[in-house]
Amino acid sequence: MSDASFTTPSAGHAMTSPVDASNAVRQDKYYLALPLGQRPPLRVIVDKRNLLANLLLLGLLLMLAGVSLNTGSAASLSLPATLRALFGEGDPLDIFVIRDLRLPRVVAGIATGGAFALAGCLMQTVARNRLATPGIVGLDNGATAFAVASVVGAGISLAPPAMALTGAAVAAALTFGLTGRIGVRGYRFLVAGIGVGAVFGALTQLMLTRVSIDAANAAYPWTVGSLNARPDHAVLSLSLALPPALLAGIWLTRSLTVLRLSDAVATGLGVAASRCRMIALGIAVVLTGLAVAVAGPVGMVALIGPEFARQLSARNTVPVVGATLAGAVVMVAADLLGRVLLAPIEIPVGIVTALIGSPLLLWILLNPNARTAP
Amino acid sequence: MRVLTHCLSFGKPRSLIGLWLGLTGLLAAIALSSLLYGAGDIGPARAWQALQHMGTASGGEARFVLTELRMPRLWIGLVVGAALGIAGALLQAVTRNPLAEPGLLGVSAGAAFAVTLAILWGADTATLRVSVAQLGALGGCLCVLAAARLQGIGDDPIRLILAGAILSGLLHSLSSLILLYDQYTADEIRFWVVGSLAGRQLDDLVPLFPSLGIAALLTVMLARPLAALALGEHVAIGLGHHPRLVRLLVIVVVALLVGGATAAAGPIAFVGLVVPFAARALAGPDIRRTLWLCLPLGPIVVVSADIVSRLVVPPSELPLGVLTALIGAPVLIGVVRGRRLPTL
Repeated sequence: MSDASFTTPSAGHAMTSPVDASNAVRQDKYYLALPLGQRPPLRVIVDKRNLLANLLLLGLLLMLAGVSLNTGSAASLSLPATLRALFGEGDPLDIFVIRDLRLPRVVAGIATGGAFALAGCLMQTVARNRLATPGIVGLDNGATAFAVASVVGAGISLAPPAMALTGAAVAAALTFGLTGRIGVRGYRFLVAGIGVGAVFGALTQLMLTRVSIDAANAAYPWTVGSLNARPDHAVLSLSLALPPALLAGIWLTRSLTVLRLSDAVATGLGVAASRCRMIALGIAVVLTGLAVAVAGPVGMVALIGPEFARQLSARNTVPVVGATLAGAVVMVAADLLGRVLLAPIEIPVGIVTALIGSPLLLWILLNPNARTAP
Repeated sequence: MRVLTHCLSFGKPRSLIGLWLGLTGLLAAIALSSLLYGAGDIGPARAWQALQHMGTASGGEARFVLTELRMPRLWIGLVVGAALGIAGALLQAVTRNPLAEPGLLGVSAGAAFAVTLAILWGADTATLRVSVAQLGALGGCLCVLAAARLQGIGDDPIRLILAGAILSGLLHSLSSLILLYDQYTADEIRFWVVGSLAGRQLDDLVPLFPSLGIAALLTVMLARPLAALALGEHVAIGLGHHPRLVRLLVIVVVALLVGGATAAAGPIAFVGLVVPFAARALAGPDIRRTLWLCLPLGPIVVVSADIVSRLVVPPSELPLGVLTALIGAPVLIGVVRGRRLPTL
């Protein structure tokens, strides 16, 4: 782990003299000087490969969103008609279908996918383990249990975000509190997380048996993860939280990159390791809780998204933006697949992602050559 | 956890017969209260009266509830508990992994998935369901064994559990997909797939007996070789055993037991973890002793969990799997938290 890490340019050149490093580095990086009146001016380093990867993912996302808007059982529209309806022109029925039925679903998919994947990327980096996604560590189940508790208690709306948030935080506190420090390598805390998740899953079942059969049936697709029941206020609060979380993630990228090395190296390079970890973990908890409130536990996106982004992006950075975009791509694609594959039956997006994600997870775990560190 | 183990083991291992008799007495008491208490309005007093007049024809409603509802539950609970407890102990011994548990490793999920597939393709007799579940469990077992033989996984108990949990999740989502796709299967299986003892008849048990008999016979024969295998492969070979054959047979026994139990009661997790754990705490690491204790301990856990599941939310009931998860998950976390994993 540490041998490989020292060859990564960003960490290595930060320690050696910048003069001889610049020749090698300049070739794959853009330097943007921000005119903020500072001296020397604040410079943003943009990796060429990451930029390309993110643009590619963005293009893919826009394309998938377009297809998703265009596909459905209600009315078959041509692509230009879809676009016109999106901007409020054409047949009123088309406008209704596109803007009131399909657009909110696509937006919710993008927001939840991005949130799950960003949370997964942060948590994997913090835990130094590709398998440590919020779903495995029990956050999804915790958020679900608390959200269902609020349904059982009040019976007003499905999954108020605040309760889901509390649940995610409690689950995170339990898992990481029970297994000691956060950055510990190894698999123990993952199994502890599975245990915590099992407890919360059982509690969810327990509460669902107490409500009436109709309420339980209504909650069912949501407990496996679906974009069907998406409460408006939950989507709103997630959309409000995602941009600042993404900005914070970008701000943390450098520290997180260094944090992938040992704690001693990170501290030596001037990164407050434990504070950085707490912030990243906090962001992951908030995003997971809010995303679960919208779409239920679709935890596998948190594994697939970052994995996808890592394949595209440069090896030496933590692909925060890439993971977010890739998560949105995966979520929209999985939702589209679920709607198309067995139409008119709709496969919940949680099942689609689990079917894609579990083999990937097994491959990472069982392949002796695969690295488990992100 | 260490303290708990010490308290339970009273310093040094007690005589096995005393322990066994004590546990069997406890089991008898629990079985009796399982007949007396229920979610309906037949209270313990009326049930006791009906129980006393069992020989005569009188009794009415209380008698009906006792013989038709509570008695089958009790019997199925006893069989399922014993089967899952012993299967857990065997699986832990053969993978040398204190966390190996049929539910966590995907064996139960394999059985459930096979049954779902069979019902989707039109099978519905109870006999067929048992053998199909056992085949599915065998598939799950073979996956576990294959993963355990992979380089680096076998020595790391935690990674094996993780792989099992993921496999379990995968099979579970495949089953959900089938349920979603086929409404008939969903109706047929909905109450079975959550894992519960409710609504089963005594007739459901009959097809289990041949395979459970074979499993019991094999278990008795395998106890000695397994104890030798615990000392290491070379020692076992030196003592005249065949490790590969023993492993294969154990896997078959586990598949028979877990498949049968799953066919009768649906997938129930964590029993196979808690029971051998308690048995080891009481009787020490020798598999020949723990297997005997698993026999009463498994039914104790399952039947008492079933009683609680009837009493928590009257007049409705909890699925049994919920309660076993609530008992078992803390045990799992406790074992994982330990500074050093106990090795088998």
